[in-house]
Amino acid sequence: MKITVKIRRALAGGGAPFATVVCLLMYAIYAVRAPSALSIFGITNVLNDAIVLAIGSVGLTVVVLAGEFDLSGVGVIAIANVLVATTSGATGLGAVGSLALVLAIGLLVGTINGVLVALFHLQSLAATIGTMIACEGVALLILPAPGGEVADNIATGLTGDVAGVMPVALLILGGFAAAWFLFKRTSLGVAIYATGADAQAARLSGINLRRTRLVAFMLAGLCYAFAGYMLSAETGTGDPRVSSALLLFMYAAVAIGGTSLSGGKGGVFGSLAGAGILTVLQKMLFALGVAEFYTNIFNGIVMICALLFGNLASLLVGSVRRQVAK
Amino acid sequence: MTAISLHHRLPEGWGVPLVVFACTAFLVVVIKLISPGSALAQQIEAILVTAIFLVIASMGQGLAILLGGIDLSIGVVMGLAGMMISGLTNGADAALGWAVPATLASCAGIGVFNGLGIALAGIPPFIMTLASGSIFFGIGLGFTAGAAQRPVAPVLQKLMSGHVFGLPLPVLLLAVFAVAAMAFQNGSVEGRRLYAIGSNPKAAKIVGLPIRPLTVAVYGVSGLCAGIAGVLLAGYASAATLDMGDPFLMPTIAAVVIGGARVTGGRGLYLGTFAGALFLSVLETIITVLSLSQGLRDIIEGTIIVMALLLQTAPGKRRF
Amino acid sequence: MLFATRQKVLLAGAAALLFAGAAQQSAAEEPHYKVFLDMSYSGNIWQAAAANGIKALAATPPYDKEVEFKTIISGTDVQRQISDIQSMVAAGANAILIYPLSPTALNRVIRQACAQHVLVFTYDATVTEPCAYNVSNITARYGANSAQWMVNQLGGKGELVINHGVAGTAVTKAYDAQALHIFSRYPGIKIVGEFYGNWNDATSQEGVSKILAAHPNLDAIWTVDGTYGSLQAVMKNRPDRLVTIAGQSNNGYRLMIADPKLQARGLRGLSSSAGPAVGPYAFKVMMEVLTGQLKPTQHNIEYPLPWVPYTDVKLCTGDRFVGGCNTFPEGKVPPLFIDTSLNGDLLPELSLTAVQEGKPTPGARIQKLPDIHYAENLPGINCENCTAPPDAMEPNLVKPIPVPK
Repeated sequence: MKITVKIRRALAGGGAPFATVVCLLMYAIYAVRAPSALSIFGITNVLNDAIVLAIGSVGLTVVVLAGEFDLSGVGVIAIANVLVATTSGATGLGAVGSLALVLAIGLLVGTINGVLVALFHLQSLAATIGTMIACEGVALLILPAPGGEVADNIATGLTGDVAGVMPVALLILGGFAAAWFLFKRTSLGVAIYATGADAQAARLSGINLRRTRLVAFMLAGLCYAFAGYMLSAETGTGDPRVSSALLLFMYAAVAIGGTSLSGGKGGVFGSLAGAGILTVLQKMLFALGVAEFYTNIFNGIVMICALLFGNLASLLVGSVRRQVAK
Repeated sequence: MTAISLHHRLPEGWGVPLVVFACTAFLVVVIKLISPGSALAQQIEAILVTAIFLVIASMGQGLAILLGGIDLSIGVVMGLAGMMISGLTNGADAALGWAVPATLASCAGIGVFNGLGIALAGIPPFIMTLASGSIFFGIGLGFTAGAAQRPVAPVLQKLMSGHVFGLPLPVLLLAVFAVAAMAFQNGSVEGRRLYAIGSNPKAAKIVGLPIRPLTVAVYGVSGLCAGIAGVLLAGYASAATLDMGDPFLMPTIAAVVIGGARVTGGRGLYLGTFAGALFLSVLETIITVLSLSQGLRDIIEGTIIVMALLLQTAPGKRRF
Repeated sequence: MLFATRQKVLLAGAAALLFAGAAQQSAAEEPHYKVFLDMSYSGNIWQAAAANGIKALAATPPYDKEVEFKTIISGTDVQRQISDIQSMVAAGANAILIYPLSPTALNRVIRQACAQHVLVFTYDATVTEPCAYNVSNITARYGANSAQWMVNQLGGKGELVINHGVAGTAVTKAYDAQALHIFSRYPGIKIVGEFYGNWNDATSQEGVSKILAAHPNLDAIWTVDGTYGSLQAVMKNRPDRLVTIAGQSNNGYRLMIADPKLQARGLRGLSSSAGPAVGPYAFKVMMEVLTGQLKPTQHNIEYPLPWVPYTDVKLCTGDRFVGGCNTFPEGKVPPLFIDTSLNGDLLPELSLTAVQEGKPTPGARIQKLPDIHYAENLPGINCENCTAPPDAMEPNLVKPIPVPK
């Protein structure tokens, strides 16, 4: 097979490789204008900027793959953030204790979502709007105004480098990627893909739809909680307000990364690349001197183009396959 | 009579809207209970007048969801419509004759832009409408910087505060719009086609339904509805800001789904959307008159939305 | 021909080099500062007016030549604001003027900026990071002062409704606490309802119309913003019996409270609250510090709280606030235009065009600021390890009336 055909196949076979290439390209453009981008300090900064979005998108990807919506992510992130800010201090639970607490909360919210959708057959779009609003309320009750203090070892430990060369954020993201690599191949992982692709066929082939959907939401809840923990590390404090901008960016990261919003196709690697694209895009636009309202316009255009080219790439593969078949 | 047996005696799909109306009536009673000194007639009037924005904007959202899509640009379009109508009319009625059509045409144009991206380029509706919302917000920001616009035409202001035969004008508008919307979505040929496309796109394609033109038209109508809602909101508030439509986006989605529509498309009457919009307006009113902190309000609101969904989903309805 | 073409080219090249050299020379003599404005919220009137005022000042001589000015809108996600500030520092900013999304979340990145010798200022919203300069009137006790004014007007009794700002913000928490502290002193004042207008006029109008239906006899509404909308709701639903009200400084609102016909129906209004002019003011202070003209000894600077009770509304005849005038006649500006975008004393360089379009006022030149006033400590708002003064919740602009028997 010709090398161009191989490349085309790779680019079109799932958005992840394509998205990764785009992300690296953008980073290169950014680095040309801002040489500090190539230093460890610069790379660590970008990874730190991206990590909350990235981990949140990972959680969302699992639910989307199963064919559902989940708008409650930012609510869980807010609760996790305020919990860490209020309990991680020396007199409280400490770094590990607060992590365990927020993961438990994330699991709880995920379970509630999963029960509502899988057992009570509520539509996930509306049900998770309800849980998101309720989570906002809980966050406000825990911490009525920005404040609290995140334990120092979390804030400095998780945002720095190991031995001055390896950003901790990269290690964490690598951990998620590795976990996904393994999970994807388990029967549950396959079940999630199958449920999203064609629920009826999945049921007929023996997959327990209820359990699959429940697990998807639970995994998502865990991821959101971890993302909130990272937000505490990044900002050093708690803030009870949810960011609806973050929710929409999470969805954009998932879609740009090649995961189909109707389920069954794509994966976490793509979403990580998608989160990277959105973060680096902001840096690149700044470095190119794009200011003010243009960033809104460019964000929208890039989102559209990313999906447009994703579709074009699939078309190309279609024509390549036909050529090869001849 | 249970919800299911009621279901058999009524026209197709009316079960859910009626359950929602019943919940709404219950909530109205709750209002009276929590604030005993309230003037209920005045309260209902306040609810209906402020419900009109959600009722109209949800119509467009409902059509998009009927096709299996979604429209996330509604909030931005509403804000843009308000800014345009106040900027163009500049406190006088003289320009209304062309300002209103120009504003509504622009909003429908944004919708058409969405529809083209979805129908021709195959971009998922979630992303297309999200992205176009961002783009047009940026354009609006570029033109106006978000600055205060000229006053809104007096006729629009009077429209939103006037009375006819003792009823507020907006309430009459509400009724007229609801009837027209029901007639379109559930009584017309185009409406039936939308149901067909939404419930089984592959079959619709085979049968030869004009899917692409209808998709573009649907999102155009959604933009138009958001535009109308924005113009009315500017008349109500006698002023417009670029972000004034943002609080309405999530409620339009909730209203449509509470009203019985399926996010996968093909199911749900406008009557249901209408009921959902009214339900949410009454719910907002309860949240407003409760003297509680925002945190407790949010928890109550989220819980009631979930409960409403639980009630309207007949057990075992989802086959797989 | 006196000179051949080649020689002409050579001469031209030499001349160009000389000029370039000379230009370099003078450029080296002129001060040149790279200044960024980092906005978070956008698309609302307050932010637009503040940003326009700042842009106008940056384009007013001598700053138009001295300052390389750029505006960035980070949006409402705090991580993106952190990312943008990092980018600004990396791009060699000399000074950054920020509207911070959170009083605490940006502290680390601001510390990074200070370590790179970047001057960091905030306007209206504050941060607790000690190396940053806060310019705000959040310490001017709006909550206590406006509440006390209302109590005085009501004679210490009446039914009151509270219109909260956005929940979960330091501002809302501070002002609400001050107002409730004052209201609770007077047993005759009954808080019959409260809702979250979220500083938004349309939301406030909807909220008040519903609260009015629930409590038809209410006498007063306390707001921080969304005041125009709140009053509109009363005007449309109970026009013959208006309210005592405190809040923002929208021009339409000031015109209403100054209207004798409305006063005759019971309207008593106070126009105060945070005004967009704090942004341009912060810019001027920042530039004076940057150019060495000003050396503040503290980092928290107080912008005077706008304070216009209905008796003090004065119409202007021109495009600027001169001679003590503070309101524009009807039709000159839209009703939602915030009058406190302008400040005749501290910002004489600003005019209507400046705050509505961001263009400099023709013929204006930056004037030196009068003495700055320092702000008191508010823990969690503008300082970290500090204590508030013991009377931080007491009014300092209004003398309280005694509690009626």
